[in-house]
Amino acid sequence: MTPDPISFAAGALAGPLLLLLAAAACLLLPLFLRSLRGTPGLIAVGAVLVALTFLRRAPEVQLSLFNGALLLSPLSVYLWAFVLAVLGLTALISIARPAAPEESTGEYYFLLFMASIGLMTLVAAGDLFTAFIALELLSLPVYALAGVKRSKPGLEAAYKYFMLGAFGSGMTIMGVAILNALYPALTFAALKGGTATPLALAGFLLVISGFAFKTALVPFHMWVPDAYEGAPTPVAAFMGAAVKAGGVIVLWRLFDIFDGGPVHRIFWWLAAITAITANLMALGQSGLKRLLAYSSVAHAGYMAIAFFGGQQGAQAVLYYLPVYAMATIGAFSVAAVLEKGEKGPQIEDLAGLAKARPWLAGAMAAFMFSLAGVPPLAGFFAKFYAFAGAVNSGNTGLVVIGVLMSAVSMYYYLKVTVAMYMKPAAGEHVYEAPGLAEGVIFLMAAGVLLAGVFSRPLLALAAQAARFF
Amino acid sequence: MELLTTLLGTPLSQAILLPAVWGLGVFLCPRGRTKHYALAGTLLTLLAAIRLWTGFDAANAAMQFSLDLSWLPVYGIHYQLGIDGISLLMIALTAFLMPISVLASFNYIKESERAYYACLLFLEAAMIGVFAALDLFVFYLFWEAMLIPMYFLIGIWGGPRRVYAALKFFLYTMAGSVLMLAAILWVVAAQHAATGVWTFSIPALYGGALTEQAQFWLFAAFGLAFAVKVPLFPFHTWLPDAHVEAPTAGSVLLAGVLLKMGVYGYLRLAVPLFPQAAHTFAPWLAGLGVVGIIYGSLVAWTQRDMKKLVAYSSVAHLGTVMLGIMAFEPAAVAGAVLQMVNHGLSTGALFLLVGVLYERRHTRITEDYGGLAKVMPGFAAVFMIVTLSSVGMPGLNGFIGEVLVLFGAFRVYPWLTGFAVAGVILSAVYMLGMYQQAVFGPLRHTENKILPDLSFREWAYLLPILVFILLIGVYPNPFLRRAMPAVGNYIQLSQRQAAPPPADVKISLGGIRK
Repeated sequence: MTPDPISFAAGALAGPLLLLLAAAACLLLPLFLRSLRGTPGLIAVGAVLVALTFLRRAPEVQLSLFNGALLLSPLSVYLWAFVLAVLGLTALISIARPAAPEESTGEYYFLLFMASIGLMTLVAAGDLFTAFIALELLSLPVYALAGVKRSKPGLEAAYKYFMLGAFGSGMTIMGVAILNALYPALTFAALKGGTATPLALAGFLLVISGFAFKTALVPFHMWVPDAYEGAPTPVAAFMGAAVKAGGVIVLWRLFDIFDGGPVHRIFWWLAAITAITANLMALGQSGLKRLLAYSSVAHAGYMAIAFFGGQQGAQAVLYYLPVYAMATIGAFSVAAVLEKGEKGPQIEDLAGLAKARPWLAGAMAAFMFSLAGVPPLAGFFAKFYAFAGAVNSGNTGLVVIGVLMSAVSMYYYLKVTVAMYMKPAAGEHVYEAPGLAEGVIFLMAAGVLLAGVFSRPLLALAAQAARFF
Repeated sequence: MELLTTLLGTPLSQAILLPAVWGLGVFLCPRGRTKHYALAGTLLTLLAAIRLWTGFDAANAAMQFSLDLSWLPVYGIHYQLGIDGISLLMIALTAFLMPISVLASFNYIKESERAYYACLLFLEAAMIGVFAALDLFVFYLFWEAMLIPMYFLIGIWGGPRRVYAALKFFLYTMAGSVLMLAAILWVVAAQHAATGVWTFSIPALYGGALTEQAQFWLFAAFGLAFAVKVPLFPFHTWLPDAHVEAPTAGSVLLAGVLLKMGVYGYLRLAVPLFPQAAHTFAPWLAGLGVVGIIYGSLVAWTQRDMKKLVAYSSVAHLGTVMLGIMAFEPAAVAGAVLQMVNHGLSTGALFLLVGVLYERRHTRITEDYGGLAKVMPGFAAVFMIVTLSSVGMPGLNGFIGEVLVLFGAFRVYPWLTGFAVAGVILSAVYMLGMYQQAVFGPLRHTENKILPDLSFREWAYLLPILVFILLIGVYPNPFLRRAMPAVGNYIQLSQRQAAPPPADVKISLGGIRK
């Protein structure tokens, strides 16, 4: 039984609207009711759970709302579920390891929710204007979130992220302006298949560069290591898992407008340079969060490789996002658990973890092997699907670069396992009773262990969603 | 439910899943009982392997014990298993060496026992999986999955330079294999373009018609992955480090099983999938094999560390095997397959014996011993038989394999085989040299005067190996008979030209799917 489209649309939109209410509640309630201070986290988790119930199986149609500004389809349902899941997990880690000072807890969750609403709009955006507005709605709260701790590295991260991000947004709006002058409508559907004049091409390239900033493709990645390192760890997890996903989806739509030609050649180079540079840069990192930052850049490169796979590639990207997110959220949560200083743990701080906290080390090893793409972990399957599509469409060269660089990446992921398992402990690992953060970590570990070998259901959902790209 | 019974009902799938599930169970096992629990798991797996051995029809050239379940429908990936004689021998060898490795670890492993035995059991599952896989994806999955437990085995329970050795092992093998992944995707995409069907099934891909140039690059990518694993000179440098630093059980499995995977890869994939390129590469690979024989022997000769010596002797032995399989001649290939088993037995036993000494004296330098025959007569006798087996003395297993390879290969590569014979002589020089220095002569070191002879447990794991060393030496027929049809298939497939193969080839491969 397929639900009636109108009621589906109403129900689906209720999700983000509910989040908006929850965001307001998180911000305002603690102001008026003293006793509610410290509870916004619970409100947040509750709201996410309620919002998730609004996501029903979408009818197999694409609903175009508000003159094509918003597209509701199985794709949007899939991505919204993804965003809400990431938001929920981030909220859980934030409850366990508060990222914000006590007095700004309410603001913290408010910002997190606003960013998520922006992200949900971004992935469902049907035209470039909506995409731009959603991008701003996503970015501004995240700039603030990066500096929410008001520590020195946090403020530095926020500042760098804001400066470069604003530059990226400027490029995007410039590009949108050019395109607006040239085309009657800026919906992705209308832009598709049109011939691009040199001026239009310039406009597209500006827009692509702007979104490449958010996705952190090389050479637009400079902000990533500092921002991830300086931002509170739960925020870094959110940035790595969710914000990047928004950029990837819009880049995919932009990629899909063209059928070969110079834009695809540029994407080819972006993917190749990203995979190469990020992996080489990651080799020298000694901070865990910096390492994960470069790893996230590298994974953006692999996803860009998947763009070339057509329908199979779309499916691969949609499968890649949650698999990558699980490993990233898990790894950042481990960083949050071990965090002592302001910049997160160094890799050598993990030494002896296998002895002190074997299950935590085991989970971290699973995340590392998954990110590296070693079977039977889910990361391998994700890479496999991403590369399979690209080979099938004749981009073997790109895939060869991809696989060689994932061999290189092995080295820095192994560094983490070497520290945990093969080095004697440098300092004391304090034993703590497992709490919420550990719960998230083990949930994610179970995810990366099982989502690969049993990838059928997730892949089926991704395949259904991919048809609506 | 039905799926579960199919998965667990076939002995082949049992042999893979049982150690994997058993390995998970280790963490629930009470701490003091872990090793016995692990031993039970490996023995049960051995039982499944024995069922495979007895149920195997030696006259049938088709894949047996086939299992074919749809796994990931997007790309037509199936959980497809099946074995011919060559895989049967390899699986039997793996299942046979596993309980021995566990027994050999009983006293040696004191730290994090649970994780150790879990690693061993996961490793076993992956190794058997590689030999049983008939789907390229499944093959690659097991091939790479094997790296994780082996990496931890070397890195956590290894010798002083274990971190370096573990990293080197992992990175070398990984770097070699990733191009194979790209090549696998290429082959499958090409097959899809030609037939419109997505399939990773190895027998189905045998029929693919690839241009000569494509075959060249694909063979190079597959061949590199396997050459690192064999290891073929000059890709062997990870091997001495890994072997020396690994704990005894790790060395036994590395030498006994993991190295065979490289050769198996050539036999099952690289050559049959890309026969024309195989013929271009064959003389070079055989040549590298012979270089490996001479080089490995010469380097082994200069070693003072017994484990290192055995490690380099592996390079030499595997060189012989490569010469055999690249000759595409029945006797040579059959000899090479048998030699794979022989090397697993004799080198495995050598590592065990070095481990026996190391557990007593904590040194592996040959000069620290001497005169062991006086204090450890039982050990000396076992060591003697194993050394002679490794050298290839008539009446013991090594002889049969070596002679078959040399006879067969001589008809194809007379010059190369001539050099290979020189390597055989060298092997006698270094192996017997080590034996003499360690076992004969006066008891120079006082610490050695009180060394106890082999314990009951040590006899228990060495005796079965001795039995097979003698059995294959005098009556290799049960082993060769099972391998021959598979060897015939291999040679037939290797002679396939660019034209599609005749229909009977596909039928003889079991007619599983096409």
